[in-house]
Amino acid sequence: MLVLEHASLRDRIEDVSLQLRPGEVLALIGPNGAGKSSLLSLLSGLTMPDRGQALLGDTPLRHLSAGHLARHRAVLEQRTEVATGFTVREVIAMGSYLHGHANTTALAVALARVEGLLERRLSTLSGGETQRVLLARALAQLLGSTESERYLLLDEPTAALDIGMADGLMLQIGRIAKQHRIGVLAVVHDLNLGLRHADRVALLDRGHLVACGPTAEVMQRSRLEEVYGVRLAELIHDEHEDLRAFVPLPPHES
Amino acid sequence: MPYYRSLLLSFLLLALALLTGLLLDTPIGSSLPSLFGHAHDPLTRQLLLELRLPRVLSAAASGALLACAGAAAQYQFRNALAEPGLIGVSGGAALAAALALEAGLGGGLVAMTAFVGGLVALWLTWRLAGPRSPSSQLILAGVAINALTGSLLTLLIATLPDDSLRTVTFWLMGSFASVNWRQASALLIALPPVWVLLWRHWRYLNLLQLGDAATFHAGYPLARGRLQVVALAALATSLVVANCGMIGFVGLMAPHLARLITGADARRVLLLAPLLGALLAVIADTISRLAIAPAELPVGVITSLAGAPFFLWLMRRALMGSDNARA
Repeated sequence: MLVLEHASLRDRIEDVSLQLRPGEVLALIGPNGAGKSSLLSLLSGLTMPDRGQALLGDTPLRHLSAGHLARHRAVLEQRTEVATGFTVREVIAMGSYLHGHANTTALAVALARVEGLLERRLSTLSGGETQRVLLARALAQLLGSTESERYLLLDEPTAALDIGMADGLMLQIGRIAKQHRIGVLAVVHDLNLGLRHADRVALLDRGHLVACGPTAEVMQRSRLEEVYGVRLAELIHDEHEDLRAFVPLPPHES
Repeated sequence: MPYYRSLLLSFLLLALALLTGLLLDTPIGSSLPSLFGHAHDPLTRQLLLELRLPRVLSAAASGALLACAGAAAQYQFRNALAEPGLIGVSGGAALAAALALEAGLGGGLVAMTAFVGGLVALWLTWRLAGPRSPSSQLILAGVAINALTGSLLTLLIATLPDDSLRTVTFWLMGSFASVNWRQASALLIALPPVWVLLWRHWRYLNLLQLGDAATFHAGYPLARGRLQVVALAALATSLVVANCGMIGFVGLMAPHLARLITGADARRVLLLAPLLGALLAVIADTISRLAIAPAELPVGVITSLAGAPFFLWLMRRALMGSDNARA
């Protein structure tokens, strides 16, 4: 398990305890500036908490080398450099550098559905294509690892995607999580994506963890309204009662 | 061009350039036999073995070392315009080397002082520009550091009574004309370890093109990689500067030509670029020796004549944002 125990980070994260389990999809939601990326960065071991602990199983992340960490978790960053001149094939292969063999990239390529892009240059791709390629790189890193506990940390994986692509990607990520027993933490801005694809949801507000638990429990209208400061309508599909969505309403006339 | 063929071709071209550089402007008929010890002409033999051979070998080794340093800087700083001369390393190394010579230090110590000078200048440039700055800022900071080291160097040499420090032109424009076997062998011995040690970082350098965080997340610690790559680049540059002066633009051109030929993968570029750097330097040296014979041009004149337009072309591409299209 990837664990935060009473972790704090300067003025961005305040006493957060959280667990990411193998095989689950945990959506991390919250308003802009809530500390979602900071929290992801604590879980990835890139930054260390000022107080509290980040752990892989029982071991504090600060005691693990970059190489050891990379065999257990991969990260899809929100922003990367453009890697001028590199082909998609070369970028995905970067995921298997640590493992010294390239045969896991084929599976990663198939899972991220980037077969048709391999010979293109990364810098010529659209935002959505780039996102899928970087996901394939992260998957290659995880799937090449022989460790039993593996985690995938995604910082806004659907940011550049249209509604259909975003839904398709999250669906695929959910399948990968179940099939390969990979624990996935995904920062998402679109509440409905979290609602539809997450097993559990963690709601963050100004550095505090407001709620964390099964999706339906955490994503209640009144709580979301309070945290996001908007009025929401909750829509329920006529035929599928478990298919819900939140839509913002115009503010009250005052 | 397929990668292995381009490696082989560069190697053959380099061998050809070395032979041409060695033999041009000598009585060729007697040259070959004299090399193998059947000389009837001791003067030609001496010219070839004592002057020409260390000279072309130094040129090749220097070009390769500068290409290593240039490639390292370009990958490390994610900056297509980075080059040991442009980002201050050469200037700092030259100033430190001249100071060491003035203090009466010997060969090995001069190179070590140059190494420290190069590192300090690089660190200053980097700090001035800020670690996450765009290309142009790193180059501007380099311009400032270069102006500073250049003027201090000129001042130092101008105020010295004797000519033991060689000349300002030697330091600022570089020359292989006066290298001896001791210097040539220092460069030749240093090249293989620098080349191999740098090449071993190809995975780190490739990942770095996705960003610092991505590199760490993929399992490569940033601080260690950066320290080793930067130190190797400064070492390569300062060795060349201490022995042959500042030779501009080879470190810029060779890695870019390599990228144009084989793509951006550092595994290939770091092997091919030093071969191309050696080739460029040997050709430039031969031209500088023959262009206005019997007088000599500093070799930096030739490399700058070729390199400055190349730099402008790169800058234009970077500014127009078409950097991505081909290289």
